Amino acid sequence: MLGFFLALLATLLHAALTFAAAPFLMGVVTTFRARILGRRGPPFLQSYRHLYRLLRKTTLVPETATPLFGIWPVVCLLALGVAALLVPGFCTGMLTAPAGDFITLIGLLGLARAALVLAGLETGFGFGGAGAQREMLFGVFAEAALLVVLLSFVLLAHSATVNGISVAFSTGQIGISVSLGFALAALLAVALTETGRIPADNPSGHLELAMVHEAMILEYSGRYLLMFDYAAMLRLLVWMNLIGAVFLPFGMARADDLLTWPLGLALWLAKLALMAVCLAVFEISSAKMRVFRVPEFLGVAMLLGMLASVFLFVAARIGG
Amino acid sequence: MVGLPGQGMHLRLDALSALFLIILLPQTIAAALSGMRGSLTFWVFVAGMVVALLGADAFTLIFGFELMSAASWLLVLRGDAKPASLYAGIAVFSAACLIPALFLPAGALAFMLILLGTGAKAGLAPLHSWLPRAHPAPPAGVSALMSGGMIKVALYVLIRYGFIVLGAKAAPWWGMVLIVAGAASVLIGSLRAMLETELKTLLACSTVEHAGLIAVGLGVALRAKAMGDPALAALGLQAALLCVVAHALFKPLLFIGAGEVKHATGTSGLNWLGGLLRGMPRLSGLMLLGAVGMAALPLGPGFAPEFLLLHAVIAAAATGGILAHLAFTALLAVLGVSAALALGAAVRLVGIGFLGRPRTLQAAAAEDARPGPLAGMALLAGLCVPVALWPGLVLWGMNPVIRLLVPGASPAPLAYAPLILVLLGGLVALAAGFVLHRFGVRGTREVPAWMGGFGRPPAWLPFGDPMTQPSASGFAAPVARAIGAGLLAPGGMDPGQAWVLAPLQRLYLRIVRLAERIRRATIRERLAFVFMGLVLALLVLGLGEGG
Repeated sequence: MLGFFLALLATLLHAALTFAAAPFLMGVVTTFRARILGRRGPPFLQSYRHLYRLLRKTTLVPETATPLFGIWPVVCLLALGVAALLVPGFCTGMLTAPAGDFITLIGLLGLARAALVLAGLETGFGFGGAGAQREMLFGVFAEAALLVVLLSFVLLAHSATVNGISVAFSTGQIGISVSLGFALAALLAVALTETGRIPADNPSGHLELAMVHEAMILEYSGRYLLMFDYAAMLRLLVWMNLIGAVFLPFGMARADDLLTWPLGLALWLAKLALMAVCLAVFEISSAKMRVFRVPEFLGVAMLLGMLASVFLFVAARIGG
Repeated sequence: MVGLPGQGMHLRLDALSALFLIILLPQTIAAALSGMRGSLTFWVFVAGMVVALLGADAFTLIFGFELMSAASWLLVLRGDAKPASLYAGIAVFSAACLIPALFLPAGALAFMLILLGTGAKAGLAPLHSWLPRAHPAPPAGVSALMSGGMIKVALYVLIRYGFIVLGAKAAPWWGMVLIVAGAASVLIGSLRAMLETELKTLLACSTVEHAGLIAVGLGVALRAKAMGDPALAALGLQAALLCVVAHALFKPLLFIGAGEVKHATGTSGLNWLGGLLRGMPRLSGLMLLGAVGMAALPLGPGFAPEFLLLHAVIAAAATGGILAHLAFTALLAVLGVSAALALGAAVRLVGIGFLGRPRTLQAAAAEDARPGPLAGMALLAGLCVPVALWPGLVLWGMNPVIRLLVPGASPAPLAYAPLILVLLGGLVALAAGFVLHRFGVRGTREVPAWMGGFGRPPAWLPFGDPMTQPSASGFAAPVARAIGAGLLAPGGMDPGQAWVLAPLQRLYLRIVRLAERIRRATIRERLAFVFMGLVLALLVLGLGEGG
């Protein structure tokens, strides 16, 4: 009973922290990036101001839009909101853990992507279509790479839920293996593409010819744009949580042990900050790719993911 | 009675036939509602499928199967004569493989012939390229039943023989052959569904993909059963059979909808549609639901089978030798690419056809579908809901079938819980709704679209210039460039067409020319032939006697 109560509490705390911290994380990345480039950058809380401003603005709907115009931001936000609840943050063993199958997660990310692409096609203007078709192209390789990476996780952890993988990697005698290195590289490439960061897309860019994510939501304003922007922030946090839970699971709290929570919370924030810094450094040190280079980039990720599981098989044969 | 002399026809209903009869029922009703009620050929087609599913002996099975083929050929012929001859050729090939196979002793040869015969009928690679040409030809109701029902009857024969009749002799490599054929179909089907611009052809390509998905699930199950792993076999079967059920609901729905789009606008080319959601809101809503199923998105009917299939493949990757490991890793990549391509195809169907601005006046003036087809589609959509939200219940209902196919299997419960996702989504929606309602500015204002800064279109173009809107072919262009160039034959042709059917056609032409040459031989040449034949025969006889 106590265990259930604690798990419920942990889930609620996770939900509150995740939904509250998502804009902050985006702000941190943007500001870090500006600082490293020698600019002062916006304050950390700029994202919240941006969202609040959108909240107070009138929502404009184009005449050529269909009645479903307002549905897509809701679908996108809900899919990513559910995904954010499924991926463990500071602790493992939340109430949502059994539902957090990796494939369900991939499906939810796909649902959010579909909503975004449909939003791009909604009004029927050129930029939206251009962004939509690029996003679709990236998704093809990203999904394949994710599935192949998942295979090596399942082989190592004997569990397909993010929670189970995290627990197995933090407690089991996995150690550092070549496979996991490859899997990490593949997962990072997919994460960069999915969250619309350099080298696949430029989050701060407003050059129409090169836009992907921004191009699809150009016609949106007011609270619809708020939902899309907040969903993008959530997506970044979901991916960081995912990478943290799988590759940096040390020190994660257990939901049924209240005493581990403070350390887990502190480490979670530290890991997020570390990942934000890494992302900012990576972004300023690399250039955006041409659109047709991104499939090659993700193709390499897919091959790395396959190599990860092949190495596992070979190691199993030599070892066993 | 009809039947073999002295034996007659035997009908029997077991769990497997019952499952396939049940999935046949709603789509038959929907197809009848969509305007096929008065066609005798249509009912003969349905009767053929029912007889094939109920047949307890090989003769009855083949009788029903061929009745189904013949009736559907007539229906295809009524729509379009050109693919009909191709279709008849494939049906004859399938019969030529199936009929000897049913009377062969159980073994690898029989299974391979059955796989060829049923695979040709179900649209498995490499004999799939006829399907995107023949299925769109007849009226929508028949297309629906061909994609949703006939394919399934062919797969039923495959399951019946692979798991029950020949089950005792099954070897793991049978499953591997099935998996390879299925994976190729999945990849080619989804890629072509992403690239085709004709609505019904697109749906037929997606049918090839789903037939491939079912075949992969069956292959994993067959291999696991032969290797003595009933748990994995049950998982593979769960994936395959759930995919059968889901596909039998959303694909007829989409086909009937495509027929209605054609009826309302006079075209089913995506490049001539657009913005149908305004004129045809009810049809569009139902099509959207079908597209969610086709894209295998979570909370749609297509996700649970995909989920089970991926889990089955991941579990299968841990069995067998190193080559099997590699093959399953590659299979997973193929399934990932195909899942995303299927998502792209469904998004393109909805986004280009139903959203955006109309591309032609016909699309702008389209009125909602007729009540009959709408009722049929609503029936199928209503049945999609329980499959989407309670897939565990459907799987529970399938347990007898799985126990019949894999004796001793105890199917595991489903790890994917759509209701929990709905609950979580509802909570997020409540929170978001509260914030927006409490702090936000309400209401919306309608304004001219920004369109990247271009001004309002002139008065004679009420929906703007259609050429400035992304087209269906344009939407698929990046995928065609990045993947299509590598996987399709030159010119974007289907590989099955370019490397299987086209060479066969060339061979046929050569044989015809030879026959013509022989027919036109002069009397002297004929006499020479006869004389040479006589000499050869005597020579053989003499050598035989001498030796």
